[in-house]
Amino acid sequence: MRALDLFNFNLQVIYRQPMRSAMLLVAIAIGVIAINLLTGLGEGGKRYVLGEFDFLGKNVLIILPGKKETTGGMPPVTGETPRDLTLQDAAALKRLPMVSDVAPLIAGKAQVSRDASNREAFTVGTNRAFFRVRQLHIASGKALPSLPLDQAEAVCILGPTLRRELFGTQPALGEWVRAGDRRFRVIGILQPEGQGLGFDMNEVMIIPVASAQALFNQQGLFRIFVELRSLDNLAGSRAMLTNLLRERHGGEEDVTLITQDSLISAFAGILDVMTLAVAGIAAISMLVAGILIMNVTLITVSQRTEEIGLLKALGAPESTVRLIFLAEAGMMASCGAVFGLVISNILLFVARTVYPAIAFTTPAWAQIGSLLLALLTALLFALLPAQKAARLAPLEALQNKRAA
Amino acid sequence: MRGQDAFKLVWSSVAHSLSKSLLTALGIAIGITAVTLLTAIGGGIEQYVLNQFSQFGTRIIAVHPGKNVTHGVGGLLSTVRPLSIADADSLRALSGVEQVVGVVQGTGTIEAAQRQRTSDILGVGAQMPEAWRFKLSLGQFLPDDESGRSRPYAVLGYTLRQELFGNQNPLGEFIRVGGLRFRVIGVIEQKGQMLGFDMDDIVYIPVDQALQMFNREGLMEIDVTFSETSSSAAVAQAITRQLTERHGDEDFTLTTQDEMLDTLSNVLSVLTAGVAALGAISLVVGAVGIATILTTTVRERTGEIGLLRALGSSQGQVLGLFLGEAVVIALLGGLMGIVLLGIILVGFSLVVPNLPFLISPMYLIIALLVAATIGLLAGVIPARSAARLNPVDALRAE
Repeated sequence: MRALDLFNFNLQVIYRQPMRSAMLLVAIAIGVIAINLLTGLGEGGKRYVLGEFDFLGKNVLIILPGKKETTGGMPPVTGETPRDLTLQDAAALKRLPMVSDVAPLIAGKAQVSRDASNREAFTVGTNRAFFRVRQLHIASGKALPSLPLDQAEAVCILGPTLRRELFGTQPALGEWVRAGDRRFRVIGILQPEGQGLGFDMNEVMIIPVASAQALFNQQGLFRIFVELRSLDNLAGSRAMLTNLLRERHGGEEDVTLITQDSLISAFAGILDVMTLAVAGIAAISMLVAGILIMNVTLITVSQRTEEIGLLKALGAPESTVRLIFLAEAGMMASCGAVFGLVISNILLFVARTVYPAIAFTTPAWAQIGSLLLALLTALLFALLPAQKAARLAPLEALQNKRAA
Repeated sequence: MRGQDAFKLVWSSVAHSLSKSLLTALGIAIGITAVTLLTAIGGGIEQYVLNQFSQFGTRIIAVHPGKNVTHGVGGLLSTVRPLSIADADSLRALSGVEQVVGVVQGTGTIEAAQRQRTSDILGVGAQMPEAWRFKLSLGQFLPDDESGRSRPYAVLGYTLRQELFGNQNPLGEFIRVGGLRFRVIGVIEQKGQMLGFDMDDIVYIPVDQALQMFNREGLMEIDVTFSETSSSAAVAQAITRQLTERHGDEDFTLTTQDEMLDTLSNVLSVLTAGVAALGAISLVVGAVGIATILTTTVRERTGEIGLLRALGSSQGQVLGLFLGEAVVIALLGGLMGIVLLGIILVGFSLVVPNLPFLISPMYLIIALLVAATIGLLAGVIPARSAARLNPVDALRAE
């Protein structure tokens, strides 16, 4: 039987039972839509979240005070240690040949006020390098001046939300705000941006690190960001940084080095597993669709027993008969899958239009995968009935209408 | 038509092509299994997480420095208005308050005679064991010394004791924590992990010593427990009033344990419902399956329907027969699904005994009801087409 004949032959069969065919199509389409839609949502969510976290350059290391013997658990987030990470440590790190820049960080909360309006704000003490390392952009005014690390200056940069809370529509540049028991002059406003790593940069107040030490009455740094000149020999650079700090800390290794990449990859791993799990749950529906295909093919075989007998009497081998039924299932599944793909892509397009910030797209592997899965399910579940049809004895089939 | 006869008719139709009915039911069964299994896992996880949190007791209020802790890091950051040990002590006098524990956490080196280990250091008040429901396996907990003059005593977590002393008796031995000398006076019983945080790899020292060691002014958290007879709202209000009076401003945040558990439980329930809804996609496909098969049945039995109608059956009766068939198939599927669920659960419990599953008879009844409803909905279109057949045409179709 030629391929075209086979196609036409099956098309007739499908047309003869429009209701049943349509429903089979719908069943497969639901499975494909579910898989594609959910992976699309998962992927979009993942990219959005990772984008939010991806604010440091690839060549930036984060140094946390404190270390734990057991690795793999939580890093020492509180950062309280008997020996502080100091500004001198930061300065010493900066002198290493492979380090291009260093941004020390003290983070705290302070009541920031101006006239009657006040607000509890995240206050970050740091230096000029921080703006580049953290990829912060100034909307108006300027960034922190280049100061020696240990020199305080009563200037601050405000996040856009904090600026609006304190000043409303009035101009803020050049004005004074009060934080704790100190006053700072506003010299810059940050551009609005999303949240990342728990810090909302829209509500932040940035001051020189030495001023923050005085404000919070605290010497130790919360974090140090180290920007490397290149990523070559990352392991070697890490070892050198650790060695330097160990020497400075009396031979004790009491810091933890992490890269943003390692944080992100751990996170991406979790999100991938979640997307896969959700898609897997959706794929159960494909199993149900497969059972339906098997059921319908069984019915078709029983209804077309005479036809099969005729085919076989005319000399069609078993393989041809098997092929006919497999092809019918395959055609149905492909149509349903393509139909499902089209609908899920339309739905994702609508989602993208409504929430432009999140890139809802189903990755190619999921699209092709769901198509193949639909096809494979159909063929697999149709195999048993097709086999049954192929094995029918020609004469009996011709005589006995209800053989199956 | 009598009910009994109707049932016989429906059943004979289901049993006539048993393999077809069973396959259709299997589709529903898989859907029901998916939904009940996912709900059971979700419910189990919810209970597990809630147990993890409520092992510290439910009558706890946590006070953190800073006004909003929307980012959950409030206690870790520096603040211009720290919570002091004196603040914590002042809360003891409030009515209804049972225990008050100030907490500071950090990391550092812990050295015994032979071995050393870098691990978590927790500065806590003397009432910690009662407040957090910790039990000691050896010795005693930190004594209730006057703040600022506490003696350098330390209590070890289970793992830390094993790492530093093995099976030797650690009581009375000296260790160095962050360079300072402490005498071990107790060991806490094994607590296990909580959400990835090893609660046994910790040394407990007096909170004032910890503040000094970390050169820190304020506590990271004050935990207040209250008596059974007082309510969390009343105690929270008293704490707020007391601390506001001391600070001149409300520059701290209260989290009550029961509120937190409620929120957590809500979030987890929504997640479970969401995952179960995903499983329900299979049920939809199963419903399409019932509709498809029933359509075929209606076609096959057109003559029979014609006969019934010619003999005086009403449209409603024919409708009822086919709806009945759909419901019977779906219920069959529901039962199969429950059996399948049972097999999976038994299989799981043999392979991994400690998986948290929560299954209640309620679920199973709901599962059957859902299956029946789906059968009913799926049967509507084919049953209506059967009922609307013209008796004469239908008879002729034979």
